[in-house]
Amino acid sequence: MIKLIIRRFLGMIPMLFLISIVVFGLAKAMPGDSFTGEIDPNNTNPEYIEEMRQKTGYYDPVYVQYGRWIKDFVQGDFGKSTRYKIPVSELIIQKIPNTLFLALVSLVITYILAFAMGMYAGRKPYTLGDNLIAVFNYAGLAIPSFVAGVFAIYFFAFGLNWFPFAGSVDIEISKGTPAYWLSKIHHVFLPAVVLGIFATAQYTQFLRNDLIENSRRDFVRTARAKGTPMSRIYNVHILRNSIIPLITFLGFDIASLLGGAIIIEKIFTYPGIGLLFLDSVGNRDIPTMMAITMMLSFLVLFGNLLADILYGVVDPRIRLG
Amino acid sequence: MTMNTTPVEEKPPVKGLSPWGMARKKFLKNKLAMISSFFLAAVIILSLLAPVLAPHISPIPDIEKVNISKMNITPNGEHLLGTDKSGRDVLTRLLYGGRVSLLVGFSATLIVIFLGTLVGSIAGFFGGRVDSLLMRFTDFVLNFPFLVFVIVLNTILHGKVDGLWVLIGLIGLLSWGGVARIVRSKILAEKENEYVLAAISIGCSPAKVIAKHLLPNVMSTIIVQATLLFAGLIIAESGLSYLGFGVPQKTPSWGNMLAFANEPDVLQGKPWMWMPPALAITFTILSINFIGEGLKDAMNPKSTR
Repeated sequence: MIKLIIRRFLGMIPMLFLISIVVFGLAKAMPGDSFTGEIDPNNTNPEYIEEMRQKTGYYDPVYVQYGRWIKDFVQGDFGKSTRYKIPVSELIIQKIPNTLFLALVSLVITYILAFAMGMYAGRKPYTLGDNLIAVFNYAGLAIPSFVAGVFAIYFFAFGLNWFPFAGSVDIEISKGTPAYWLSKIHHVFLPAVVLGIFATAQYTQFLRNDLIENSRRDFVRTARAKGTPMSRIYNVHILRNSIIPLITFLGFDIASLLGGAIIIEKIFTYPGIGLLFLDSVGNRDIPTMMAITMMLSFLVLFGNLLADILYGVVDPRIRLG
Repeated sequence: MTMNTTPVEEKPPVKGLSPWGMARKKFLKNKLAMISSFFLAAVIILSLLAPVLAPHISPIPDIEKVNISKMNITPNGEHLLGTDKSGRDVLTRLLYGGRVSLLVGFSATLIVIFLGTLVGSIAGFFGGRVDSLLMRFTDFVLNFPFLVFVIVLNTILHGKVDGLWVLIGLIGLLSWGGVARIVRSKILAEKENEYVLAAISIGCSPAKVIAKHLLPNVMSTIIVQATLLFAGLIIAESGLSYLGFGVPQKTPSWGNMLAFANEPDVLQGKPWMWMPPALAITFTILSINFIGEGLKDAMNPKSTR
């Protein structure tokens, strides 16, 4: 097992190197100074730009620039935001708790909904309830998140006034109080549900089909023959077998949650990494943009790695291959 | 005595349906898929006919010009779906928007299918080193966060080249990884068959074996993938345009029109501006998905629905 993890980690390094080169190339292709953010973009005096370029090493050979950039990056120095005039790392640290909170709540909602619906549909396939859940699944898989988000705001935030339509917390509530956390959950709920719809549909469908398949296995017949009640067979014997493959979905969820967060945060004006990214692109805040691009690429890579390792944990055959 | 032989009934030999014929029969029986096909056909025809229809359905057929005197009109007899914040007819823009969204989705799908099939079939057929090299490259492409890279690349290229085709190219170049993997696995299984060995042994070139012998046998998979991709890439286009990084903003596309919903007052009080494109996207995607599912079912000889 440890061998597998080490091998996968080592396999990740060249991929990380290639991605960093691509991101570096993109940053070089951007107009202006992409790395340090020290040059004031509003000062168009050519002498000033020339001087700053000399100072920040704009004319060094490309590999020297890459080396410097990657060295700083690994040490957590992502340059300075040209818009906010503070280090990008500080900006990211300010915003990332919101995105993580959104992703976490979304995962929790996904798991609760998917288990409830999947268990029901798997136990009573081809009934009215199962068909209704199938309709939900179709809709969840087909309707794009931004359409679902816009409709959710229109009906639940504006129409019924159940949820706020923007922000991550009420400003007047002081930090740390229970009311503060309630307000946070109140704000995050709607975006989290919308963000999780696709995954919920996927999980539900998988769980349903797997339960149906497993219920025809020999071990179920054995359990019935020795008189185990059906509910126990379903909740213990079958569910245990069906949950295992679900674990592997978690790694891919990381990638889809982070990608989806960009769109969801925009719709709900939720101040997280995604909104910061879009904001930085719109304002040509290139150091911020590049740092987030690199960070998200890394997280996707990490998610895939996690999925790979979890496969190995779940299915011993993969460990040997 | 008359020869009273009962005439032997000459039955014409019953000709079995070809695999494609069977698939067609199954697909035609699938109600949901057929309704979806008609719906999609209607959407495509209406979009293609947009320039012809525009003068008849709206007094202002221009889709880009700003009309200050006609801003924010609610739906009425003259403007069936009202006008937007720049005084342009929503229905006209919806039809033109369909053209753009479907064009982007379709062209990007062609690129993705072409690249994915090319890489996947070469990797699967040759195996060994070629395979591992190409598959590492595929992993590399699959590891990019799609949305982030399209946005960054589109920002770099912005203003240098015409927006629409850049977008199509970018989406195409970044999304072929999945198809390559699927085609490769199908080719890997298919090439073990003896007819492939026979074809190689009589001297067919690899290109010929792939194109003439292997691809027709994985075609059903490719067609199903293409259908699902078409839906996925329409979503990609509208999502990017919604964020403001897709089709140039003056060109109407469903995503660009939906972007009006970014303003809370439009989202809350002027639903006629964003609801039509939102519904158009939803129903188009749903119908394409149903067609895809229907095709998958129809082309699977084991399914008995």
